[in-house]
Amino acid sequence: MKERILAAYDPFVLPFVFGMTFVLAYCLIALVKVLIQLNAADRRKFALSLITPTTIFKNIRDIFCDCLFHVKLWKRNKVLGYMHSSIAFGWFMIIVIGHIETILYIPERLHKMYYPIFFRYFMEEQNTTLQGSFFFFLMDFFLLVILSGIAIAIVKRFRSRIVGMRRTTKLTLTDRIGLYSLWAIFPLRWIAEGFTAGVAGGSFMTVPINWLLHNFMSKPENITVAWWLYSIALGTFLTVLPFTRYMHIPAEILLVPMRNAGLPVRHTRKGFSLAMLYSCPSCGVCIDACPMGVQKKNVKDATVYMVRNLKRRNRKRSLEIAEKCLMCGKCAALCQVQMDACGLRLAYRTSQERKQNRIPADFGYLNAVAPLPRTETEGKVLYYAGCMSSLTPVISRSVQQVLRHAGVEFELMDKDGSICCGRPLMLAGRQDEARALIEKNRKLIEESGARILLVSCAICYRIFKEHYDLIGVEVMHYTEYFNRLLQEGRLKVKNSHQTLVYHDPCDLGRGCGIYDAPRTALRAVGQLVPALKEREESICCGGSVGSLTLRYEDREPITRGALDNLTANNPEQIVTACPLCLKTFGRYATVPVADFAQILAENLDND
Amino acid sequence: MIDFGYGLTPSSTLKIEDVRLPAFGELLRREPDAAKCIACGSCAASCSAGVFTEMNLRRVILSLQRGREKETLPLLRHCMLCGKCQLVCPRGVNTRHLILSIGKVYQLEEDKR
Amino acid sequence: MSQNVVVIGGGPAGIEASRKLRDLGYTPILIEKEPVLGGHLARWDRLFPDGVDASTFLDPMIADLDGIKYFTDTEVASINRLKDTWVVKLSNGLSAQVRAILLTTGFDLFKAEKKEEYGYGIYERVITNADLEAWFKSGAAPQFDDVKVIGFVHCVGSRDEKAGNRQCSKVCCVTAVKQACEIKEKFPDATVYCFYMDLRMFGRKYEDLYLKAQKEYGIRFVRGRVSEVSEDLDGHLFVKAEDTLFGKPMKLKADLLVLMSGMTPAASTQQLARMVNIQTGDDGFFLPKSLIVSPFTSSREGIFFAGAATGPKTLPETLSEASAAALAIDHYLKTLQR
Repeated sequence: MKERILAAYDPFVLPFVFGMTFVLAYCLIALVKVLIQLNAADRRKFALSLITPTTIFKNIRDIFCDCLFHVKLWKRNKVLGYMHSSIAFGWFMIIVIGHIETILYIPERLHKMYYPIFFRYFMEEQNTTLQGSFFFFLMDFFLLVILSGIAIAIVKRFRSRIVGMRRTTKLTLTDRIGLYSLWAIFPLRWIAEGFTAGVAGGSFMTVPINWLLHNFMSKPENITVAWWLYSIALGTFLTVLPFTRYMHIPAEILLVPMRNAGLPVRHTRKGFSLAMLYSCPSCGVCIDACPMGVQKKNVKDATVYMVRNLKRRNRKRSLEIAEKCLMCGKCAALCQVQMDACGLRLAYRTSQERKQNRIPADFGYLNAVAPLPRTETEGKVLYYAGCMSSLTPVISRSVQQVLRHAGVEFELMDKDGSICCGRPLMLAGRQDEARALIEKNRKLIEESGARILLVSCAICYRIFKEHYDLIGVEVMHYTEYFNRLLQEGRLKVKNSHQTLVYHDPCDLGRGCGIYDAPRTALRAVGQLVPALKEREESICCGGSVGSLTLRYEDREPITRGALDNLTANNPEQIVTACPLCLKTFGRYATVPVADFAQILAENLDND
Repeated sequence: MIDFGYGLTPSSTLKIEDVRLPAFGELLRREPDAAKCIACGSCAASCSAGVFTEMNLRRVILSLQRGREKETLPLLRHCMLCGKCQLVCPRGVNTRHLILSIGKVYQLEEDKR
Repeated sequence: MSQNVVVIGGGPAGIEASRKLRDLGYTPILIEKEPVLGGHLARWDRLFPDGVDASTFLDPMIADLDGIKYFTDTEVASINRLKDTWVVKLSNGLSAQVRAILLTTGFDLFKAEKKEEYGYGIYERVITNADLEAWFKSGAAPQFDDVKVIGFVHCVGSRDEKAGNRQCSKVCCVTAVKQACEIKEKFPDATVYCFYMDLRMFGRKYEDLYLKAQKEYGIRFVRGRVSEVSEDLDGHLFVKAEDTLFGKPMKLKADLLVLMSGMTPAASTQQLARMVNIQTGDDGFFLPKSLIVSPFTSSREGIFFAGAATGPKTLPETLSEASAAALAIDHYLKTLQR
């Protein structure tokens, strides 16, 4: 190996150098901006996490798994997984090997940022060595890997259904420029290296193309043209990168540690949120995930468009999208970069409420609410039915029936009217107001001497878990508690062998991660059949209090869509574990809908 | 003339022809469901806050349409936005958004003055 | 040989129309899916506004079916157009080729358990208007003996978009007032409340009945829709509503609650509409050519309607529509022959 171009420079490197410098500068400024925007406490938390060994390990693992290997995508869709990881990992390897070659053969050129990239142009091979051939092979191998990924990408762009996507994102103009330049980079590299394959060496990709296109490749005036085009493609891609979805490539490297540090979303587009916005790859998984997508007019309300509008500071559209969302969290659960889609929307709602709502809340009346009778019995269960359950009497009645059957001592917390749990207020962006309700309820519960707070509403359960910090009280959803009673043998049921399908309420499943307790319990009373999509992919019933603006008539198609999903395997009974889902499904279901407690109560073994 | 101690004071009658409702128009634009109410009272009957206070959404909606919002708007301060009214409303009125919108529209009107 | 006309639905509309068609010289083929003729009327005890026994109307009608072929326990299997006739196949294997079909499929009572907040099917002391009529008709002793407070809930499944029925069912207001008076006779010591959204006393003598209910029976009327019902350990009910005229929410402890289930399109409506390719409105009832001048004519040749198949109707309206439809069919068939 020896240097072929002694000046170690050719003007064709300029587009690349410009692009690279620009993108590095842009990222550096963005990084500083994000860090400055964090509040002091968050910044300290972030800094601390960066030096905590366990988090360091987690960060490295996540960066490799998420950014290079796209493990999450592989699990979901093998073709898309291969497409992304082949391009990302292949490109990464080409850069790494380019640097290794530079270090090995001509370390004094390492400071020139373009040298490892255009290595083949500047170097020539004098005699074949095993080491040289090894690198030639590796380079060509990864080039092939990337080219195969690019081929899939091109097919996907025109026929997204082939790779299993129903809808894909509408690209912006800059996205298109980025996309086409990205597509162009590697075929151009192939051709450019094909020219030099004769002198600089090559392997199974570059050598054959040199032979095949011999007439073209043997003309020296074509060489610089090819390398110029390659460099221009690179330069274009890098220059437009910050304004395209490809910004997610550098941004994710920042997002991963920030997420692992456990930073909360505090703002719509500052600090952590900004890192998140930059990290959106516009892949469009959220479009198919969104339950509102059953109506075409709602397609543009998917998270990817929310991010786009936030980036462009389009307040009107951002607010519309933020207020319309059901907050079911499905897009976030499927998101490749774990975008906190609900958090961003909530931040928007909160900022709007703080700015605009001028009828301030007054919950002074709560002071007059009498405390609950205090009893000190061991393991006392306090049952909070919640506001919605008073409109579905079957739930509280069945819960009490089951509790009595199991011989559990319990008291009702809200038989004379509930103080709302606070989650609906919170979802409406009234965080401070919600705190007043939380404090009152917390006091009532803690002072009652209860050991277990039993909740039959998924919405209430989530806020009790996330925001109450009850001291000495275990918060349990009735699916968990009844399953525990079943496992302990305190509750005896018989199996009706009826086929049941279980609907995961959003706040219970994706919200609190409870998927198995209800299923285990239901298997004891019937035969569980799967829904088409379930667990983290379950479809919101459409009744969610999460959406502020979605009209009644526009919820119907969502409900019908969710019902179609549940009844795919012809169950005899739909079972849900949330009063709102129960009521919503009840409106349109052709298969009977029952509550979880109701099904248990119907199958109690009284012998 | 004998004074019986009471008389007709102009303020006690509802002069409906004088009522101008620009704010209500704006409210309808934001939440068209405001026009769907049939005053059945379901919302007021099931209201979580109504157990403890005078909160009554039906009365609020009516007073807005009569230009007498000052009398009832303060009631909305007690609303916990729990959504029960939305669930019981036979007309499917989006009551939570209606309440949030009232909070924005009516205060905006006051700001202009 | 006289010409056949198929009449689908053996309620008052179907029976009355069949008799009129027979009198006009046709042979009606009357099809009823239930084991007996008479529809909802056969299960009803007394009729508003005068409290006449329903059987004094229905029995003579059913006794006078000479010249009418009728099939109970029978459904329509298929209907096909063949040139200018309709071929109707029945579930009993018979079929008929006719030039005119009259749809008198009527209505279904709204399933009150769909309004979960009222607890029908969950609370023992919550019954429907139909349950009450069945009890009146049976003459049995009351199921509950300590009935002191009774509530009637109007508009259950009527004027309720959430329940999928936006329409007013028209007859429940006056039925509730009638039943309130009747139940007061059974439980003279009880206080009876009617919870209404709007009282629609549109027919002749209905207003008188309303007045009588207030004056003679002491029925108390509360303007407010019941929002939810709960139960205490002894099975007594707590009914929540807003007294909208007074402007305050109220809670009533009641011993019996009667839900006035409204009218919904008969279950067979959609199926029949598909068979003969005619439209239904977004309320689910058959859509006639015009709601004013020909409420009994469909948009298709030879298909006619009568009664509640085209929307909630009172019994006298149904009966007069049945006669009018018979005349319209007669006119249609005579025009064809010319």
